[in-house]
Formats: sequence, C-alpha cells, structure tokens
Amino acid sequence: MPGTIDAKLAELGINLPVGASPVASYVMSATVGRLVHLAGHGPRQADGTLVKGRLGENLAVEDGAQAARLVGLGLLATLRDACGGDLDRVGRCVRLYGLIRCTPEFTAHATVMNGASDLMVEVFGDAGLHARTTIGARALPSGIAVEIEGLFELC
Amino acid sequence: MAGRIEARLKELGIELPVGPAPVANYVPYVQSGNLVFVAGQIPLADGKVRHTGILGDSVEVEEGRAAARLCALNVVAQVKAACGGDLDRVVRCVRLGGYVSSTGDFGDHPAVVNGASDTIVEIFGDQGHHARFAVGAGSLPLGSAVEIDAVFEVSA
Repeated sequence: MPGTIDAKLAELGINLPVGASPVASYVMSATVGRLVHLAGHGPRQADGTLVKGRLGENLAVEDGAQAARLVGLGLLATLRDACGGDLDRVGRCVRLYGLIRCTPEFTAHATVMNGASDLMVEVFGDAGLHARTTIGARALPSGIAVEIEGLFELC
Repeated sequence: MAGRIEARLKELGIELPVGPAPVANYVPYVQSGNLVFVAGQIPLADGKVRHTGILGDSVEVEEGRAAARLCALNVVAQVKAACGGDLDRVVRCVRLGGYVSSTGDFGDHPAVVNGASDTIVEIFGDQGHHARFAVGAGSLPLGSAVEIDAVFEVSA
C-alpha cells in the first residue's frame, strides 16, 4: 500500500526523479540522529539536463521559481532515498537554504525561492513549513540558476 | 532568576523589534529537538529595509556593521518567540551565518558580520559565543546589505 506522502505526490501528479549523485567526494545526504542533512541540489529536468541561467539577465522570475521547484523535487528524491524509500518517516522540513544565481540588481529572490517552499508545503502540509535563508550568488556550479540545500527531521 | 536576559537588554538600552513575519511560504524559525533554526533575517525595522546596497560600492563597512546588528536583533526577536517569550531558556548561540551583499573585490566581510556577533555576545555573554561563517553574496532579498541566520540551543 502506498504511503500517505506517496499518495499525496500521486494526487499532485508529481513523479519524483531518481535521487541525484554527487559530483565529487561527498554524499547527497547525511543523517545524524533525527536530522537529515541534504547536500546542495541543482535544478535537474526530466531529461537529465540542468536549468542554467542568471536571474535578472536571461531568466525570468517564473522560470527561476520553476527551477527552484525542480530543485525541490530533487531534494525530495534524495530524502526518499535517505528514508529507505518511505517519505512517511519525514516529520517535517526544518530549513531550506537557497542560492539564486542573479545580477547584483536583482531583488526578487524570495519569489524565486517560493518555487521550492511552496512545493514542500504542497507535499507535507504544515509539516512542510520551514525556516529559510535565501541569497543571491554571483556564480553557481555548472552555471545552474538555483541551488538549494535542505534539513529535514524524521519522525 | 527570571528575566535575566530581559534585564540585560534593558541595561543595554535595546528594545527588541517585533520579529518580522516571513515574506513568503515559510516560517521565521523551526525547533528540532533542542535546536532552534532561525530563518535568514534582513535589516528590517517597522516593516522597512533600513540598509540596502552593496558593500564595497554604495555601503561603507560601518553601515554594514549597523545592518548586521539590526539583523541580529531580529534574530533574537525570533528566538524569543521560539522560547515562548523567555530568553532565559537560551542555552547558547550555536552558529551564525553572515551574508554580506558585496562587490567581487570586497574583503571586510568579517568586520561587517561582527556587528551581529558582537550584539549576540553583548546580550548573552559567554552563552553568546558561536561558530560563524561570513560570505559575500552577489545580492540579497529586497536589496538588503546584510542577511543573518542562526542556530540556537534552548532548554525545555
């Protein structure tokens, strides 16, 4: 029988991607006690390519929010792996830390980051509400538009 | 003694701001076990961003330091809310993250973020000593000059 969160994902029409692999000598998640620390994830699309670009220059705010949502899906995929495949073990989302690749004049970081925050609340309800830090980055690995790391608490 | 930290705030002449509400679909803090994770705070007072601009360009280090102090006061306001109003429940400040909107060749990030670290130590004394990082950001939400987030340990 699918779990509650799996049923919620199905209801939302969300197919989680396969968890990403690290690009270097680190792991995508580390669990300490009840806290699951997730590595910085990028916006990987269904075809495996990354959303690249710079907000305020060649990427619209909606595209940035969509990229942030994609990053959120990647975080959930890694989180599911960290939970042995059972997202019902997730107690809550504790914190998201988002880096938005943008021009120095860009100010709509929050709107971009909402793509990920809204996803967590859609999937986990109130347990998806998290503390959050969002900053603008001059450069990000591989030129990706958004990078997000996450902290989740297990039940 | 009840209200030890409140007394200290009074002694310092600090009136904590009302912890700003988040600007989106998130919350100002989350407690997990005995750790309180505070969302990134920008230099807001009375609903307005008081320090905007870029260090190394339009903002001097002194103003950056003042911005960091205001961010830190907002952090403490959120921690107070997390403690049900009783700051004496703070066991210690564990970690501050300092984000400084700055040009590529700016180097005084530590001096700016000291505005936050010094404030936390003024208020909490030895319990205010924390691990910290200070980084340059290409930009920050709403054009803020500085953003500070934090992890605090609290007692039940």
